[in-house]
Amino acid sequence: MCCLAAGLERKIGIDSRIMNQLTNHPKLIQFIGLLVIFSLLCFFIAPSETNVLWRFPSLLAGLPYLINDSVEYLMFDWWPIQVYDPEIEEFEEKPLILQVTRAISASILFLIGLIREIILGGFKTIVTFTSWDFVSENKWARWPALPWTVVAGGAILLGYKLQGKGLAMLAGFSTIYLAVFGQWEPSMQTLSFVLFAAPVSFILGLTLGIWAYKNRNVELTLNPFLNVMQIMPHFSYLVPVMVFFGIGDHAGAIATIIFATPPMVRLTVLGLKRVSPEVLEAGMMSGCSNFQLMYKVLIPTARRDLLIGVNQVIMQCLAMAVIASFIGAKGLGFNLLLSLNGLRIGEAIEQGICIVLIAVVLDRLSLAWANKKTDYFAELTFIKRHKYSLLFLVILVAGSVLAYVGTFIFREGYNYLYIVPHNKGITIKDTLQNGVDWIWDTFFFALKGFNVFLIQEILMPMKAAYLSMPVAATLVLTMGVGYIIGGIRSAAIVGGFILFIALTEWWDRALITMYLMSFAVIVASIIGVTVGTLCAQNAYTAKFILLVCDTFQTFPSFIYLIPVIMLFGVTDTSVCIAVIVYATVPATRYTVEGLRSVSPDLHDAGSMSGVNRLQRWIKIELPMSFPHMALGVNQTVVFALSMVIIGAMIGTDDLGQYILKALSDKNGTGNGLTLGLCVAFIGLAVDQVIRTWANERKKVLGLA
Amino acid sequence: MSSSSPITQDTQPVIQCNSVYKIFGDNAKKMLQASKGNVDAKVFQDAGCIVGVNNASFEVPKGDLLVVMGLSGSGKSTLLRCASRLTDATAGQIFIDGEDLLAMSNKRLIELRRNKMGMVFQSFALLPHKTVLENIAFPLQVKGINTHESIKRAKDMVDLVGLDGRENYFPRELSGGQQQRVGIARSLAVEPDIWFLDEPFSALDPLIRKEMQDEFMRLQGVLNKTILFVTHDFDEALRLADRIAIMKDGIIEQLDTPANIVLNPATEYVRKFTEEVPREKVLRIESVMDPVDTSEVLSDLKVSKDAIIETVAEAVLGQEKPVAVIGADNQVVGAVHSSKVIHVLFGSRAGTENRN
Amino acid sequence: MSSKFIKTLGALVTGLMLVFGASTVRAADSSAPIVIPTHNWSSQVVMAYVIGGIFESMGNNVEYVSADTQAVYESIRQGDVTISHEVWQSTFGASFYAAMAKGGIIDAGTHAAKTLEEVGVPQWVIDENLCPGLPNWEALKNCKDVFATPDSGGKGRILEGPQSWHGQEYPDRVEALLGDDYVVKFAGGADALWAELAAAKKEGRGTIIFNWTPNFTDADGFVFIEWPPYYLGCRKQDGGDSKCGSPIGWLKKAANYKFPKTHPAAYTMFSRLSFNAGQIGQMAALVDIDGMTHEDAAKKWLADNEDVWKPFIGKGM
Repeated sequence: MCCLAAGLERKIGIDSRIMNQLTNHPKLIQFIGLLVIFSLLCFFIAPSETNVLWRFPSLLAGLPYLINDSVEYLMFDWWPIQVYDPEIEEFEEKPLILQVTRAISASILFLIGLIREIILGGFKTIVTFTSWDFVSENKWARWPALPWTVVAGGAILLGYKLQGKGLAMLAGFSTIYLAVFGQWEPSMQTLSFVLFAAPVSFILGLTLGIWAYKNRNVELTLNPFLNVMQIMPHFSYLVPVMVFFGIGDHAGAIATIIFATPPMVRLTVLGLKRVSPEVLEAGMMSGCSNFQLMYKVLIPTARRDLLIGVNQVIMQCLAMAVIASFIGAKGLGFNLLLSLNGLRIGEAIEQGICIVLIAVVLDRLSLAWANKKTDYFAELTFIKRHKYSLLFLVILVAGSVLAYVGTFIFREGYNYLYIVPHNKGITIKDTLQNGVDWIWDTFFFALKGFNVFLIQEILMPMKAAYLSMPVAATLVLTMGVGYIIGGIRSAAIVGGFILFIALTEWWDRALITMYLMSFAVIVASIIGVTVGTLCAQNAYTAKFILLVCDTFQTFPSFIYLIPVIMLFGVTDTSVCIAVIVYATVPATRYTVEGLRSVSPDLHDAGSMSGVNRLQRWIKIELPMSFPHMALGVNQTVVFALSMVIIGAMIGTDDLGQYILKALSDKNGTGNGLTLGLCVAFIGLAVDQVIRTWANERKKVLGLA
Repeated sequence: MSSSSPITQDTQPVIQCNSVYKIFGDNAKKMLQASKGNVDAKVFQDAGCIVGVNNASFEVPKGDLLVVMGLSGSGKSTLLRCASRLTDATAGQIFIDGEDLLAMSNKRLIELRRNKMGMVFQSFALLPHKTVLENIAFPLQVKGINTHESIKRAKDMVDLVGLDGRENYFPRELSGGQQQRVGIARSLAVEPDIWFLDEPFSALDPLIRKEMQDEFMRLQGVLNKTILFVTHDFDEALRLADRIAIMKDGIIEQLDTPANIVLNPATEYVRKFTEEVPREKVLRIESVMDPVDTSEVLSDLKVSKDAIIETVAEAVLGQEKPVAVIGADNQVVGAVHSSKVIHVLFGSRAGTENRN
Repeated sequence: MSSKFIKTLGALVTGLMLVFGASTVRAADSSAPIVIPTHNWSSQVVMAYVIGGIFESMGNNVEYVSADTQAVYESIRQGDVTISHEVWQSTFGASFYAAMAKGGIIDAGTHAAKTLEEVGVPQWVIDENLCPGLPNWEALKNCKDVFATPDSGGKGRILEGPQSWHGQEYPDRVEALLGDDYVVKFAGGADALWAELAAAKKEGRGTIIFNWTPNFTDADGFVFIEWPPYYLGCRKQDGGDSKCGSPIGWLKKAANYKFPKTHPAAYTMFSRLSFNAGQIGQMAALVDIDGMTHEDAAKKWLADNEDVWKPFIGKGM
C-alpha cells in the first residue's frame, strides 16, 4: 500500500519519499528482500525431477501405508478373541477392538433408532429387547408413528411455551412445510440423527472445554487437535470412521460429532475465561462448592458464548447432513444427492430448504430454552402447573383421532392425516426448476465469454505460476513471511507445515489446492469487505446481511454445485465460484462485526476533526476494525479450503480429487488421513501468520 | 455507626489480621522468608514479584465498621480478599471469630461463607441469567434451602433494599444503583455476621452514590454488622467509617478514627488527603462539646453526640444559648457552644481558602 | 436380596435364550435383517427395493443403508452390509477385487445384462456431423478443436468420471492412441457428467464424456466411441500398451461370506437373480421418466413382473 502511494506521487521528491517510507517501515525492507531472494531462487533452480531443490523427494510417501497398516492391525489382527456367532452357530476369531467399536456403534444406532421410532414408528427398538425372530413371528409388535399433526402441534406448543407467538409460528410453519411438501419421513430421519449428534457434541464440547479451562496443560494439548479437526476436510475422515465403526446412521453421527465438537470446546473455554472475576468471587462468597461454582455460576454466566457454541453445533450438524449420507446416514442428505445425480435441481432445492428450516427451528428453540424465565409467585393449580403437558396430551389424542378418522376419509392410497408419504405432498419443484432453467437460459451465453476470459487470462496463468515455483523457493517465501510477522517461532511453525506437505508425494496437488484457495480468498475478501462495509452503515442492513450469512452457511453447498457446473462447465471457474459463494460468508460477517464494533466515540471524534464519510472509513473505521477483519480472512481461508475440497465433486486435479479417491483406495484410511493433514496444514500455516499479525495489531491499537 | 468508641469490651475481635502479606509471583514465598518480613517493594519487583499487601495488622470488633481507604494499586482490595480468603495470604495470620482462616479446610471455608460472610462487589457481579429474586435467593439455594423458602426470604430482602416490584427483572434491565441494591440484598440474604464491601459505590453516579451511602447507613443502623469496607473515596470513608485504615503500596499508613486522622495525620501521605477536608464534615459534636455545667441554661434543642458538626451547625448557631448534647440513652452528656462550632467552621481554614 | 434378584434374572435370561435358541436351530433363514446398500443413481436404488421386496416375500427382514459406491465393498467385507447387487465391471471392479483379496466378500453371480462403460458423444454430435467419421476413434484425430474447452489449452478434452472409477486407464489410452491432441479431465461425480451433457446440448457443441448403458441418458441418444477392441492384457496395468477400448462388461453381485450360511434360501435366490438391460432400464425409467419414488417404482415393477422374479425363488414358494 505504501509502495502504491509512493508510486502515485511520481512528480516530486520521489526518492526521498521512498527512502522515508523505507526507514519508517523496516518490515517493508524485509519483505522486499524476501521477494528478491524468492525471485532469485525461482530463477536459478532448474525445473527438473532430479533436482532436489525443485521438488523434494517424497520421504513421507510411506506414511499413509504406515497409518493404514497400523489401523488395520489394530482393527483386524490385534488381540483376537473367540466370539460365538449364533447365526452360523460357530465360534469365530474376532479382534477385540472391532468388537468394542461395533458395540459402540450398536448403542449409538439404538439411540438414533429410538428417537426415530418415537416419531416415525417401527420395530427396531423392540428387536433390541427381544429378537428379530420375535418381531418376525409377531406382526403386532410394531411401534406406531406419531401422526405428523401431533409432532407439528408439539413443535408449535414448545415454541409458544419457550418464547411466544413468533417462535410458535416459525415452528408451525416449518413442520407443516416439511409435512405438506412430502418430506416428512426423510426430514424426521435427519432430525433424529441431529437430535443425537447435536446434544452429544454439545456435552462433549462442554466437558472438554471445562477441562481445558481448569487445566492449562489440557488446553495446550487440546489446541492443536482442535485446529486440525476443524480444518481437516470431512471426506478425509470418512474412511477411518467407516473402518472403525462401519456404515449407517451411527457412522454419520460420529463423523458429524468429530466436526461439530471443536467449535463448542473453543467457545466454552472462551466463554468461561470471559466471566468477570468478580462474578466468580461472588459465587465463592455465596458459599458455592466447586461443582456449584461451575454449574450454577460459571456456565450460566458464560451463556452467551456457550449459546453461540450451540448455534455452531446445530449449524455444523445440518451442514454435515449431506456428507454424512456418504457413509450411511438416512434422510434428506441422501435424497438430495439422489436428486442431484438425476439433475433434478428443483427437487434438491426443496430438500435443501427443509435442511435450513430444521436448522433454524432447532437453533431458535435451543436459544429460547436457555433464556426462559420462571415465575415464582403465580399461585398455580395442578392444571396450570402442568398446562403444557396436558395440552400436549390433548394434541396427541386429537392428532391420533384425526389420523384414525383419516383412514376412513382416504380409503384409497395414503392417509394424509397420519403421515404424508415421501414425495406425495404438494411440490413447487417444477417452479424452482423453471427458475433455475430461466437463470441458465438468460445468463448462459453472457457468462460464456466471461468464463473463457477468466480461465485463459487469469486462472490458467495463475495455476502455471504456482506450479512453476521450486519447492525450495516456496519454503523460503513462506518461512520468510512467518519470520517477518511473527519471528522465529512463526517461521518454524509455518516451515514445519509446508515441509510436511512438500515431503509427501502430493506437493503438486497441494500447489493446485493453494492456487484455487488463494484466488477464491482474494475475490471473496474483496466482495466480503465491500458488501460488509456497505451493510454495516446501518443497524438494519447489518442485521439483514448477518441473517443472509446464516442461511448461506447451512444451505447445503452441494446444491449450487450443479447450477454452477451448468453455467461454467467442469472447469476451475466453477470450483472457484462455488468456493467464493461459500467463503464470502465469513469475510462479510467479520467485516460487519468489525466495523460495527468501532466505538461511536471515535466516529464523533472523526466528525469533529472534519473528515467526510469516505475519509472516516479509510482513516478511522478500517484501521480500527482491520485486526478483526483479518480474522475474517482467516475464516475465509478455512471455509475456502473446505469448499475447494468439496469442489472435487465438480472435478479438480488437486488434493480434493485424491481425498475423494481415497474412499475406494486399498489403503484409504492412510491416504485419506494424510491428505487431510496436508489440507489442514495449508490452513494452519495461513492461520498462524494471520493470527499472529492480528494479535500484534490488536495490541498496538489497544484492542486486545 | 452504633459505637464510635474504640474497643472497650474484652471480647475477641471478629476479624483479626496479624502481619498479613500478599505477594504475587512465582517464588514469592521464598523471597518473603529471605527478607524476614522487611519487604521492599522495589527489590521484589526486580525479582518479578508484585507486593500486594505488606505487613498489615488490624482488628475489627463486633459491630464495628472499618474502612480501608487507598488509591488504586494500594492493595486495599487485595487485603479484603485475603480477609475473605478469596486469595490465600502469602504469610501472616487471619482469625475469624478466633478461628484460623488460613488453616481452614475447603469444606469449613464454604460453611463459613454460607453462614457468616456476605460480600458486595464494585461491578455488582450479579448473575446475568437470574432475575433479581433469583440472584438474591442464590446464596440460600446454594446452602440447600428449598425454592419456596429461599424465594420467600429473598422477597423480604427485596423489600428491605427497596426494590419492591422489580423482583422479576433481569440485572440488565436495572440501573446501576438498583443493581447494587440487588448486590447488597444478596450479600445480606444469609444474614451474615461479617459484611465485606469492595468499593460498592464507586461505579455509581455521584448523586446515586450519596443516596446509596445513606441507604447503607440506614441498613447498618438496623443490622449492626461487623464490616470491612474498601473505598478509594476519602469523603466516603469519612462519612461511613468508625475507623479508617489508609493504605499505600500495600502498607497501612495509619489506622484511626476519622476525627483523629483528620486532626493528626500520621504521615505526609495521609496529611495530603486530610488537608482539603472540611473539619465540620468529619468531626462529631462530641469532639467540641464541653462537660455539663449545671449553672448554664441550655437551649431546648438537643443534638446527638454522634452527630457530624456540619449537619447540625445551622441549628446550633441559630440558638442563643448553648445546646444540650445527648448520648445514646437520651441523657444529657454535655453542652456545645456556638463559638466552638464557629471555630471549626471557619477558624483553621482561612489559609486554605486563600490558597484556593 | 439383590444377589437373589440377579440369580432370578440370570435364570430367566437363560430360559429365554433356550426358548429362542431352540427356534434358531433350523435350516431356514435367520431372521436377522439382510442389509442392502443404496447408492446415488436411480436404477440401483429401485433394484435395491425390488430385491428387498423379493426377500420380504420370502419372509426375510430387510434393511437399507445408503453407502458410497466405492466404500461399500469394505463394508460388505466387515459384514456391515450384506450384499451389493450392481457391481459394474469397469467402474467398481477394482474396489470389488481389492476387497475380495482381503477376504470376507464373495462373488454371488452375474446379471444377464451386459454393460458398456465407455466415453462417447451425445447423439447430436453425430446428427450434425460435427466430427465426421465418428464413432470410430480415428476420427477424433482430426477434430480436437470441436472438443476443445477454454482450460484444455487448445487440445480436445475428454471428460472422465472421478479418478476413483478407473484410475489412470483413460489418460493411458488417450496418450497411447491420440498422443498430445487430447487431455483427460476428471469430473467430480456422475452429476457433473450430466451437467456437462446438458450444457453442451444447450450450446449444440461437441463434448466427449464418460457414460454407460443402461442409463437414463439412453433416451436422448448417446453414441460410444469405437476404440480398437479390448483383449485380455491390453491395458497398461496388465502389461499391455493401452491401445484398446473397454470390454463389454459384466454386472456382478457380491455378498458377505457369511450370507450363504445365515440365509441359505435368500442366498440361493440372490445368486440366481439376474436382470437384463431392458429390465434395469424399466426400473430406472419408472423414476427418471415417470417421476415415481424409488419405493413406489419397486412395488410397481414387482407387481407387473411377477413372472420375471418368482422363478428366482425356485420351488417351495
